Amino acid sequence: MAIVKKISKPFKDISLSFDPHPVTKDLPILTNERAIIRSVRNLVETIPTERFFNSILGSDVRRSLFEFVDYGTAGIIEDQIKTTIRNFEPRVDNVVVDVIPQPDDNAFEVSVIFDIIGQEFPTQQFTFLLEATR
Amino acid sequence: MPFTQFTNLDFDQIRTSIKDYLRANSNFTDFDFEGSNFSILIDALAYNTYITAFNSNMVVNESFLDSATLRENVVSLARNIGYVPRSKTAARAAVTFEVPTTSTSPLLSLEAGLVCVGAAENTSYRFSISENVSTTINNGIAKFGSSSAPVYIYQGSLLSKSWTVDASVNQRFILDNPNIDTSTIVVYVKGINDSGLGREYFKVNNILNLKDTSEIYLIQEVQDQKYEILFGDGIFGKKLSNGTVITVKYIVTDGEDGNGPSSFAFQGNFVDAANNRVIPSNSFSITTISSAKNGAEIENLASIKYYAPRLYSAQYRAVTSRDYEAILKNIYPNLESVSVVGGEDLTPPRFGTVVISIKPKNGSYVSDFDKYSILNQLKNYSVTGINHEIVDLKILYVEIDSSVYYNSSQVSNVQDLKTSISNALVNYSNNVDINKFGGRFKYSKVVQLIDKVDNAITSNITKVTIRRDLKALTNQYAQYELCFGNRFHINAEGFNIKSTGFYIQGHSEKVYLTDVPNKDSYGKLDGSQKGVLSVITKTSSSNYRVILKSVGTVDYARGEIRLTTINILSTDIVDNIIQIQAYPDSNDVVGLKDLYLSFDVSHSRINMVRDVIASGEDISGVSFTRDYYTSSYSNGELERK
Repeated sequence: MAIVKKISKPFKDISLSFDPHPVTKDLPILTNERAIIRSVRNLVETIPTERFFNSILGSDVRRSLFEFVDYGTAGIIEDQIKTTIRNFEPRVDNVVVDVIPQPDDNAFEVSVIFDIIGQEFPTQQFTFLLEATR
Repeated sequence: MPFTQFTNLDFDQIRTSIKDYLRANSNFTDFDFEGSNFSILIDALAYNTYITAFNSNMVVNESFLDSATLRENVVSLARNIGYVPRSKTAARAAVTFEVPTTSTSPLLSLEAGLVCVGAAENTSYRFSISENVSTTINNGIAKFGSSSAPVYIYQGSLLSKSWTVDASVNQRFILDNPNIDTSTIVVYVKGINDSGLGREYFKVNNILNLKDTSEIYLIQEVQDQKYEILFGDGIFGKKLSNGTVITVKYIVTDGEDGNGPSSFAFQGNFVDAANNRVIPSNSFSITTISSAKNGAEIENLASIKYYAPRLYSAQYRAVTSRDYEAILKNIYPNLESVSVVGGEDLTPPRFGTVVISIKPKNGSYVSDFDKYSILNQLKNYSVTGINHEIVDLKILYVEIDSSVYYNSSQVSNVQDLKTSISNALVNYSNNVDINKFGGRFKYSKVVQLIDKVDNAITSNITKVTIRRDLKALTNQYAQYELCFGNRFHINAEGFNIKSTGFYIQGHSEKVYLTDVPNKDSYGKLDGSQKGVLSVITKTSSSNYRVILKSVGTVDYARGEIRLTTINILSTDIVDNIIQIQAYPDSNDVVGLKDLYLSFDVSHSRINMVRDVIASGEDISGVSFTRDYYTSSYSNGELERK
């Protein structure tokens, strides 16, 4: 039996920075893994009820940011991010989320590691800081 | 997919349309994923489209009388076709005062404002008058009002507002309170040379017959159920000049809630001719001529939408019966249902007469005073040469005699089931199809209704009777005519017409009415559809004796009963009422012309009968046909029970 390998079209998204390309003056675009990384960050940073007519989209991590910056809270944030990605980002798999509390900075360092489904890309990892804005 | 559905009001569908468009016309791919940047842009676009579509939909809806939902817009659209929605109406009571006084002044005045306090349902209501009432003092007593011309007091508080006209700005004269009875508004305009409050201006509803000097004002409802006063422009009505002072007095009322108080405690003030306060020398009582009634709420949107086009088509002229409906509702807000019959349709015809029958909201009859007042106001709208007559309500009662079969294995308490059936029938009796002029009792609906009350009910056999109440003039010879407006069923044996008992002169026994259809020489119905009424008495439970063989006629085809001269002494039922019933030829009963159809559940009978076949007690049906049998026809009894 022949092995069928699904290869999807490249992912292509618009960049919300809207900085024109220095040479072509085109709008910037995000492709493949950069598009997916941006999408995962958007999902994590969207507060549920923020999107019109789609009140469940997003994650509740912002609420956790005002809790104690410790491993307990980090565990909760990990779960919230995993659940959000599992629910709303179908393009990724094998998601590992690592949240390290940084009590001195009152922040959490979040690393998300994932595979992209249907594309020949190495495992992706990106890191960002979550901190309470007020 | 082409972008064709411009009026879409569903956010998700708009979003799908945009995505479909992008799928066909762009290199981007990520808009399908909720987290993507493109998804955020699409959301913003779709939301914008959605808001625009909603706004256009709202704007278009609010532009038409039929679809507008905001009161302000409905009122404004009705205004375009010359309709002024009715304001709240203050309940009005008629009273008289006899005030003993030692004042030497020739006149005593009751000051405008609060006059009395009356109570209804544990709540006190204020009653006011909008203008002073004056009377002369005779022998130390000042009489305010008489039984024929009483003082009218209105439920609510008298308020006042003044403006000074300033032509340099766009000035509007809006009364600040929402619950105003506009019929109580009094407007005074004080020019530079006037004294006191100035000259009284009068309300008009249209600009017919107005001159440039007419001292008039118009009223229109504006935002939040408030009213604006409009004055003339120098062409239609007198224009107000700069510096003129306008004073408006009006009563703010509780509307329908104020109906009911019949005794009043005085709270007002008296002044003499020199405007000095006068205190009555003795306590005095207030005589109530009529209790507070006819208070009504502000006209609701459904009513405005219904009546505005009708009043427009009537053009303030009472010509067709629809015109009367619209105009009468306007001049008598307490009206629930009205029937207007041209004299040419009466038997015998009375050309040139319009017969009006009105069912008020609270009660069955319109008082003589209200009749007089309605007829007077109607003259302004009606065609010259037409006489109007307001006749009392004639109620045609529909009663049922229902045998309801139930499966005893599914019922724990038969009485409860019977109560449920009664409640369902009472609910139906409040239905809009009946309880009105031109109403129709729909037999199939009632039969279905009974079946659906409970799963335990297996069937019902329901017989319909119609009844009218004859009010006897006791101890005097009189003739009576009762019209049922529905064809009677004829049983050749008679006993189609039944009555409750009564006593007549010359006979001591209690008597009843019955009928004998006209027959030919072979003893069969002669086809005339007429019969003779007889007066009979009971000698035993099943035997009767004829007292008077012919006391009148019955016309089965027209549904009419006529009693020739008869002297009724008393009746079984109080208030000298004789209930007369007949079997309608059709089970669907119609309220014809001036007959007000009413489904009388209290006089209806519900017999609960066990359905032994359904419960399994009697599989063969033998005992069912023997012991639980119900006839679908009349019972052959001679008296009404």
